[in-house]
Amino acid sequence: MLVAKLIDTTLCIGCKACEVACQEWNDQEYTLGTFDGSYQTMPDLAPNFWNLIKFNEVERDGGTSWLMSKYQCMHCADAGCIAACPAPGAIVQLANGTVDFAHDNCIGCGYCITGCPFDIPRLSPKTKKVYKCSLCSDRTAVGLEPACIKTCPTNCLTFGERDEILRVAETRAGDLRADGHKDAGIYNPAGVGGTNVIYVLKDASSPQLYGLPKDPMIPWTVQLWKGPLKWLGSFAFIGAILGTFFHYVIYGPQDPELHGHKEEEAPLE
Amino acid sequence: MGTRKRRHRLNSPEIRIPRFDAYERTMHWMSALSFVYATLTGLAIWSPKLYWLSAMFGGGFVIRGTHPWSGVIFSCVMGWMFARWAKTMALDADDRVWLSRMGKYATHQHTQLPESGRFNAGQKMLFWSQVLTALLLFLSGIVLWFPEWMPRSLRLAAILLHPVAAIGSIAGIIVHIYMGVAAVPQSMRAMLRGYVVEDWARFHHPKWFRETRDGNTLQKPRNL
Repeated sequence: MLVAKLIDTTLCIGCKACEVACQEWNDQEYTLGTFDGSYQTMPDLAPNFWNLIKFNEVERDGGTSWLMSKYQCMHCADAGCIAACPAPGAIVQLANGTVDFAHDNCIGCGYCITGCPFDIPRLSPKTKKVYKCSLCSDRTAVGLEPACIKTCPTNCLTFGERDEILRVAETRAGDLRADGHKDAGIYNPAGVGGTNVIYVLKDASSPQLYGLPKDPMIPWTVQLWKGPLKWLGSFAFIGAILGTFFHYVIYGPQDPELHGHKEEEAPLE
Repeated sequence: MGTRKRRHRLNSPEIRIPRFDAYERTMHWMSALSFVYATLTGLAIWSPKLYWLSAMFGGGFVIRGTHPWSGVIFSCVMGWMFARWAKTMALDADDRVWLSRMGKYATHQHTQLPESGRFNAGQKMLFWSQVLTALLLFLSGIVLWFPEWMPRSLRLAAILLHPVAAIGSIAGIIVHIYMGVAAVPQSMRAMLRGYVVEDWARFHHPKWFRETRDGNTLQKPRNL
């Protein structure tokens, strides 16, 4: 059974309780925030900061919109981090759809950072391994909801069976459209096979206003590397090894006596 | 019978033609060792199916740290090799003809090929292809080494460029190893001990042989 997290951005009040809950539950080391003239706790995600409420200030339609989004792992069905990861078992996809990092197997190459279309994983300079939201897999495994969901005071965040969450999200988007937000809709990008983190956006036609990519995909260079290039490489290596071996079998080594100019064997004098 | 006798004499250890000096031998084997290490650890990271290779070198976490350094060593040696051999490796008119008749070389029809200098055109092409791939591997390798400091566009290019350059490089080196180990007898000794015998030099690199002989850098055999 797939699970999903619903983020209804229209209900977020920017209290950042989910950030605290995430830090608490995952026992993250405290890092002093930076003040850069924004209400945001941090400018960016960090190896020990997996869930950031972004305060996107957007000028449009003659006014200012304050769009909040929950910047965290989207738990893609077709995950770019898994596609790019070279270490077997370092990134696993659970039966419930959670994309989880198994740090014992992580080698810290950072390929997942490049493979991720949402720019989520962060490499820790301290442990030399990569970290991101685990969807509280240690909580969901025993039937609890993730820490951020548990703490959200406005029901902006909900958690449950994915089909049910999608139905709730569509209903909510329909209500918003009926209320006059004609572009309201859900964000469940098909380019990565859908995500297990679903957004309800007031303006689903421009997710980039919320800091979300419009059409996220596993990067084509990663796909090319993991697909046709594997075949090309195998072909080149095996071809070179077999080719040279059979060259030896058919033609043998070069031999001055057999293959050289006979007249050159004239005396040196 | 006379010919046979002379060959025996010329192949004797007394008449050695110096081919690679100690610097060149050191250079070559430093690049070879770092290349083999970088290849085996690189293949482990290239495909999860080859990840087992990492176990030979201490596991994935270890090779993620050491593979880039082997690349740095390899790149430095390639820089040295370039400085030392770039001039020698320039293609001349004969080399171009040689390359157009490469099939004759592969099928041992050596008499139909132009004479080679110190390096034949195939060796020169290997040199230039390795210089090119080493440069690509170095540049893309730096990007992959420090993903947290690199812009995404560069990382996306490097993640593809690095294996592409490596495939070209490794395929070339497989052929190079075959030539050195099996296809051209005595070339291994040339690179390990530094000398060749006269028949070998005259057959494989006649222009170089004459230059060496006429330039008096070769100690003349007694009866010459």
